[in-house]
Formats: sequence, structure tokens, C-alpha cells
Amino acid sequence: MRSVETKYFGTLPCAEESVFEFPGGMPGFEGEKAFVLIETAESAPLVFLQSLTRANLCFLAFPIQVVDRDYALAVAPEDLEALDLETGRQPILGTEAVVLTLISLDDGFVASANLMAPVVLNVKTRRGLQAIRRDRLYSHQHPVPQQQEQTC
Amino acid sequence: MLVLRRRAGECVLIGDEIEIEVLAVTHQGAKIGIRAPKSTIVLRKELKITQEQNAQAAQGPAEADFRYTLEKLRPPAQERPPLPDKPTES
Repeated sequence: MRSVETKYFGTLPCAEESVFEFPGGMPGFEGEKAFVLIETAESAPLVFLQSLTRANLCFLAFPIQVVDRDYALAVAPEDLEALDLETGRQPILGTEAVVLTLISLDDGFVASANLMAPVVLNVKTRRGLQAIRRDRLYSHQHPVPQQQEQTC
Repeated sequence: MLVLRRRAGECVLIGDEIEIEVLAVTHQGAKIGIRAPKSTIVLRKELKITQEQNAQAAQGPAEADFRYTLEKLRPPAQERPPLPDKPTES
């Protein structure tokens, strides 16, 4: 089994079938064409999208419904086609696709989620891409609720 | 912002080298063609926004701050998706 150097978890074994292929990379990271999804009991529901080729590239992400349980998916037909998903409708979460929102932290550790451009993973073919919405219904910096500092 | 009304087939010039032509207008949107020098980068704005947001997301917490970040991001109980209905005992 191959192994993957990770940013936060050292070297992990990595089964071939746990790799997601990103044929076009991601905007700003067009050269990164393979990622593994790392889930740990400790961090759940937070997950990690670790680049296979660049150890220090690891996105923090939530399943999108954790941030907005009523999120209305709107993946463009050409993105669905690139993912080998049916183009006439949105994919079914869980059985057909996993949809993640990438988390950004500012200097004060305040987190935001990019709901404008979710990462869509086809769970059967293990292909992924970042599907930028064509509408303006969701923000690329949606606030994420966080634990407050204990002040006692 | 300069606002112009243009119909299909009409153009707008920006400087000496950039030409924008409205090719078609439908209820789904306007189809535009852009002629510009190769050195001019033409991007859909949302792609640029996504590139910048990804660059920020890629920074992530430093290793030393990792556990602190995990704790902060743990969703409060009421923010978690609802649990499926409890099976009723028969």
C-alpha cells in the first residue's frame, strides 16, 4: 500500500481506492490533481483534504450540510459532466456525492466557509472538483459558528 | 461604474486593444466575446475569488495551533444536523 505524507498527521497509509482524482486541480492549485480525504474521530465532523503530492497542502473542510443544513446544491451541468454524474439533476448527497465546504481561518482564528464554491466528490468514480456556483446565493466567506473562549 | 446598453452584435472598446462583443442575449444571460492581447489575463470574477479564497484556506492552522483550532471548530450541539428519528420500541 502506498503512503501519503500529511501536513497534520505525519505519514499515513493510503489505499489506492481512497484517493480522489481532481483532473483540473483546484483554482489556484491547478497542479494538485490527487487528494485523500482524511477523517478522524477526534475532529469529526471536520475532515481534511490532503494533497497527495504536496505534503503541506491540506484543506480543512466540513460536509456542507454541517455549516448550512438547508444548503441548496447547484452544480453546473458541465461540472456534473466532468464528475461523471447525471447532468439533468443534482446528485444525491451521501450515496452519489460528498459535498464539502473549505474552511478559511483569519489571523484571529475566526473561521469562514466557502459556500460559493463547494468541493464535490463523486463517491463511485472517486473524482472531484470545486464547483463554483453561477448564482450569487451563497457567500465565499460564510461565518462558521465556533466555540467561545471560556471566560471564568 | 459606467453603464452602457448594448444589443447582440454590438461592441465595447476598452483602451486600444480590448474589444468586448455581445454575441447573444437570452433569459439565461448574455454571451460575450472578448478580444484582448495574449498578455491580458481574462478570468471569470468568481474564479478569481475562489483562487484567493483557496489560497487563504490552504494556509490552515500552523501545526502548533492545530488542536486549538479543532476545539474551536467543534460545532455546538444545536448546530449539528438533527439525528434521525429514534426507532420506536415495539
